[in-house]
Amino acid sequence: MKRRLLPVAVLATAAFGLTACSGGSNADSGDVSAEGETLSVWIMEGTNPDSEAFFDDVAEAFTEETGAELDVEFVQWADAHDRFVTSIAGGTTPDVAETGTTWTAEFADAGALAPIGDFVEDEGLGGDLVEGLVASGTYDDELYGMPWYAGVRSLVYRSDIFEELGLEAPASWDDIVAAGEAVKAAHPEMMAFAVPGDAEFPVYPWVWGAGGEVAEQDGDEWVSGLDSAESQDGIAFYTGLATEHGFSSAGATTWKETDVLDNFSQGNVAMALMGSWTPAAIVEKNAELEGKFAATPIPGKDGGIAPSVLGGSHLSMFSTAKNPDLAWEFIKLMTTGEFAEQWGEQSGYFPGQASLLAETMESDDPLVAPFATQLVEGGGTVPVTPKYGAVQAKKTTNTAIQAILSGQKTVEQATADAAAEMNEIMNGD
Amino acid sequence: MTSTIQAPQVARGAESPRAAGGPVQRKNPLVRARPWLLLAPALAVLAVLLLWPLVRVFLFSLQDYGLREIVSGDANWIGLANYGEIFTDPTLWTVVLPNTVGFAVLAVAGTVALGTAVAVLMASLGPVWRTVVGSAIMIAWAMPAVTGTYVWVWIFDADRGIVNETLQAIGLQDEPVNWFTNRYTFYAIVLLNVIHHGFPFVAITILAGLLGVPKEMLEAAEVDGAGSWRRFWSIIVPNLRQVFAVVIILSTIWDFKVFAQVYLMPGGAGSNREALNLGVWSYVESFGQNRYGFGSAIAVLLTVVLLGITVVYVRTMLKEEEL
Repeated sequence: MKRRLLPVAVLATAAFGLTACSGGSNADSGDVSAEGETLSVWIMEGTNPDSEAFFDDVAEAFTEETGAELDVEFVQWADAHDRFVTSIAGGTTPDVAETGTTWTAEFADAGALAPIGDFVEDEGLGGDLVEGLVASGTYDDELYGMPWYAGVRSLVYRSDIFEELGLEAPASWDDIVAAGEAVKAAHPEMMAFAVPGDAEFPVYPWVWGAGGEVAEQDGDEWVSGLDSAESQDGIAFYTGLATEHGFSSAGATTWKETDVLDNFSQGNVAMALMGSWTPAAIVEKNAELEGKFAATPIPGKDGGIAPSVLGGSHLSMFSTAKNPDLAWEFIKLMTTGEFAEQWGEQSGYFPGQASLLAETMESDDPLVAPFATQLVEGGGTVPVTPKYGAVQAKKTTNTAIQAILSGQKTVEQATADAAAEMNEIMNGD
Repeated sequence: MTSTIQAPQVARGAESPRAAGGPVQRKNPLVRARPWLLLAPALAVLAVLLLWPLVRVFLFSLQDYGLREIVSGDANWIGLANYGEIFTDPTLWTVVLPNTVGFAVLAVAGTVALGTAVAVLMASLGPVWRTVVGSAIMIAWAMPAVTGTYVWVWIFDADRGIVNETLQAIGLQDEPVNWFTNRYTFYAIVLLNVIHHGFPFVAITILAGLLGVPKEMLEAAEVDGAGSWRRFWSIIVPNLRQVFAVVIILSTIWDFKVFAQVYLMPGGAGSNREALNLGVWSYVESFGQNRYGFGSAIAVLLTVVLLGITVVYVRTMLKEEEL
């Protein structure tokens, strides 16, 4: 075991040495000496298929730098929120943990996280972080979540079928309908455009693309914009792809995003909104599709790029961290330089450091460049308030879309109900 | 009940057969306390494991208890506001309760009826076939609820499920129907799932009771000219009253708080509001939103309701029996 790992460890240390040199202000960071201490860390499972090996390397580098041991525990996304809550209740939180972007404000509001803004300023990293992730990691003007990696949804389509039918990547809503009709006529066995009824994030690009808002803060009050004429226009177009044009299917009315991924991988879907992390999964599920699909930024109503929710993860320091300086050393090691870049390459996500992201932008990979463009030019964020977690738990937006798709409600009625519910939850005490 | 337990006599040579529960014993406090002393360890464990959590849940239900309170450890008393919010929520009365109660009634009736029928069938089988049928239904029982639910979801899948394909093939349906978007078809599928998963327990329990019914009574009734239907209702059912009481109470408790079988269905996790039941609704409203006080209030009410149902059952089913 040890012998096999050794060369990798040497490489990792060398790599870290390089970034440490190039960092400039890092010179003083070697002061942290925590011989004999152990830093406990929770990381979500499944983001990086090879995370064990990755964290072996990180642990080596971390021990080299600080003398402390690294104890990484992998947590399933599905149980993660419950585990955080129970560990907060029991006072057994880790020192540092990966927190989904929508959780950071919630845990910060509860007083479970330690602010890290000063550390970031001291390192001079303030201007070099991806903006969307900073926004979702900030609560009450304090930074609690260190941007680690980001992902974004764009329009993914089957390039082989588009080529066969002589279609271009859609650049406006009319293009989507035209392409959908062509696919439907030539391939009636396929879904021209998947409209999942139990998914929230594929809805907002249409709201924003039509000029609407999900919710805006007005003083102390949050006001949902889902029932505005623009938002209704966008949602009517999106659901109309299924109800008017018949591009989707009856089953999709209750689909989650994972169902979209499964069906696209099986070759049943020609167009869908999917995340920048999905191309690898699609090829892994069905190798035949390799090279047969491409991505393009989500078009706005009359062209341009419609914003899409920027998702991802922060690294957060818990207020129970025994040695905040040590915890910050780890966060810095993970989110900047070599390891951040490596993580992005292995997981298919974009780094949260702006300068690293700029390098990625230069890629001409047809399954990287469009997502990068979407991320930089059209990255949106859901309302940054701890209450938004409750809106998601109640599935307010999903409910509206599903009710429209199943015919229970009209677009006007469903969006009005959803906006009222959002207002009630986000302004409740 | 415990007072009827007699302390066993300690053998004291030749005198032992004489003393048989005489008044001498009542004067000895140690002897009287002995049953309680023997029960004390078990009662202490129960108090720690069951009673204290129950008390805590009740105390939480009187607070606005969220993540912030968990972190700080402070109490945040709001009196009965959680209960007030529960009772004034229109969703509870129009959707949640009708779904929960209606489903529980149908599921308990279906589970007990099917389970009894299978038990009667098994009682009349020879050993070989009884083993075969017993093993088959044990497999349905042993299947985890999550796995079973996914199997039913696949069967009724709108685009590729076997039900839709069959209905379309025989011309009863022109295009695929999503069975999960309609409240009644949604619960019909849950009903199939829960009955399929729940009847083996009923069948095995009732079979055990059936085998204990004295053969002589059944033969005597047959000689008197009672048909099999009459024998079932007049001899077997009265003899198995306690068994039925246990089975119905347990099924009611299980079917009242069914969660995974609804939550895992398409749309069942809250996006189809017409399909909310008590389990999913309380999860979405409380734990999904970190409102643990509100969730505790729902848990207290559910406990009270189930206790009430149990008391009514026990009283009606066992009225003539000695309690």
